[in-house]
Amino acid sequence: MNLTLFLLALFDGIAYAALVFIVAVGLTLIFGVMRILNVAHGSLYAMGAYLTASLTTFIVSAGLPPVFAFPCMLVSAVLIGAVLGGPLEWLLLRRIYHKPEVLQLLVTFAIFMILEDVQRLVWGTQPIFQSTALQLLGTVRAFSVNYTVYQLILLPIVAVVLLFGLRFFLRRTVAGKVILATTEDREAAQAIGIDADKVFLLTFIVGAGLAGLGGALASPTTSILPGIGADMIVLSFAVVATAGLGQIEGAALTALMIGLGRSFAVYVWPETQVLVPYVIMVAVLLVRPEGLFGSPSARKI
Amino acid sequence: MLSFHNADASIGNIPILRGLDFTIPASGTVALIGRNGAGKTTLLRSVMGFTNVTGEIRFDGQDISDMTPAKRPGLGIGYAPEDRRLFSAFTVEENILLPAQVARLDSATTQSRLDRVYHILPELRDMADRPAGNVSGGQGKMVALGRALMLGTKLIMLDEPFQGLAPALAKRYADALRDLRDTDRNVTLIITESNPELLRGFASQTFVIERGAVAEGALDYKKEPT
Repeated sequence: MNLTLFLLALFDGIAYAALVFIVAVGLTLIFGVMRILNVAHGSLYAMGAYLTASLTTFIVSAGLPPVFAFPCMLVSAVLIGAVLGGPLEWLLLRRIYHKPEVLQLLVTFAIFMILEDVQRLVWGTQPIFQSTALQLLGTVRAFSVNYTVYQLILLPIVAVVLLFGLRFFLRRTVAGKVILATTEDREAAQAIGIDADKVFLLTFIVGAGLAGLGGALASPTTSILPGIGADMIVLSFAVVATAGLGQIEGAALTALMIGLGRSFAVYVWPETQVLVPYVIMVAVLLVRPEGLFGSPSARKI
Repeated sequence: MLSFHNADASIGNIPILRGLDFTIPASGTVALIGRNGAGKTTLLRSVMGFTNVTGEIRFDGQDISDMTPAKRPGLGIGYAPEDRRLFSAFTVEENILLPAQVARLDSATTQSRLDRVYHILPELRDMADRPAGNVSGGQGKMVALGRALMLGTKLIMLDEPFQGLAPALAKRYADALRDLRDTDRNVTLIITESNPELLRGFASQTFVIERGAVAEGALDYKKEPT
């Protein structure tokens, strides 16, 4: 492996890790607070990507400045969180918090299947390309390779800002503290006046919005087609399980580990690129069943 | 102030308390005595809305049986559950302040309530910045009392506060309760305890809870049947 290939693999890995982290952190936030493993998170990611591509295409064809592609991403994320995520929690998930985990998994899996078909109905099965945002930012020469500014600089910046922003939100704002308190002890939280139902709704909207944001940010970098939601939920679950369920900082590090592992596999031994994230997960969980950063008893997000 | 009218309480489908029918007068100090498993905790949790209650629970003249749990502390009820239940991600002071922040009290009210907490429990000021997960069991009880004081302007319910406290700390805790009693004569205190000796000379009224039923009793209730 020469330097060029090494750098390409490194940059690919970083860009991909940033995307996976954004999606995985939403998944782990929802699990940390609500104790539900939301399989439909993958669909929310895919819907975010489709919605962003459609909105961007509309803006470009309407003759508006292409730079509006970026606000489109935010709009998509908010729509996915509030319009799709909000009602999902309120109408469906709220009924199953006290049910056995198998049933919870089945319900979120059913939502996943339904949303997959909704995507086929609305956007068809042909791949969609919409890379306006990617092209807009151009490329940068880093050492000896050219790489897109969007993937090498923008995506990691968004991921890092999100990591620290979320940390700040949870530890320093009242809304965040309320979420942390509910996570740790729902009854004690209610006993000081916290409305747990509202906290769950807020958390799910934020988590779903993060899945949508991940999809929105991924949309210019890839062709959007049926199945991307399934790929992403499996991978972000691997990240979340490896880090320890509910661990935000851990998810960042693990996403980087798995993102880099996967991209180096692509260049060194391409047949194993699908396998590598799971090999990493299995290896970690064999040694630490509660995950790299998880603790067996304490709940934390 | 707080009254039960033909109230039954169950957890899931299991009935725990039945035929509750008694009134706790305002500004009293009530000892709720009963063996482990008699239903003391369930009674307090019923007031907070964590059990299924049929019948009526009235607080300050208002039927609260159907009120959601999150609304009840705002009525002026502070509750310190049996095993502290502090939020370990926060500091001691953050734990104490959180109920006031959730209730959106203005900063002047919040500050005066915090001053009240520090006046009654001065030791909390020294550990204000420590992570709540790192304080000892006894200190944690003090923090839980402080947290309950923030919203507990009318009623404060303490579930087995002396459980597991070293004698010196138990005495300190009792002194703090007396201070509270002396500085705030309007607040009603309900303290559950399995050992009636600890509340002798402190409670103005005693209720005995046995096999899911509550009756007004005297402090000579024997801990174990002989």
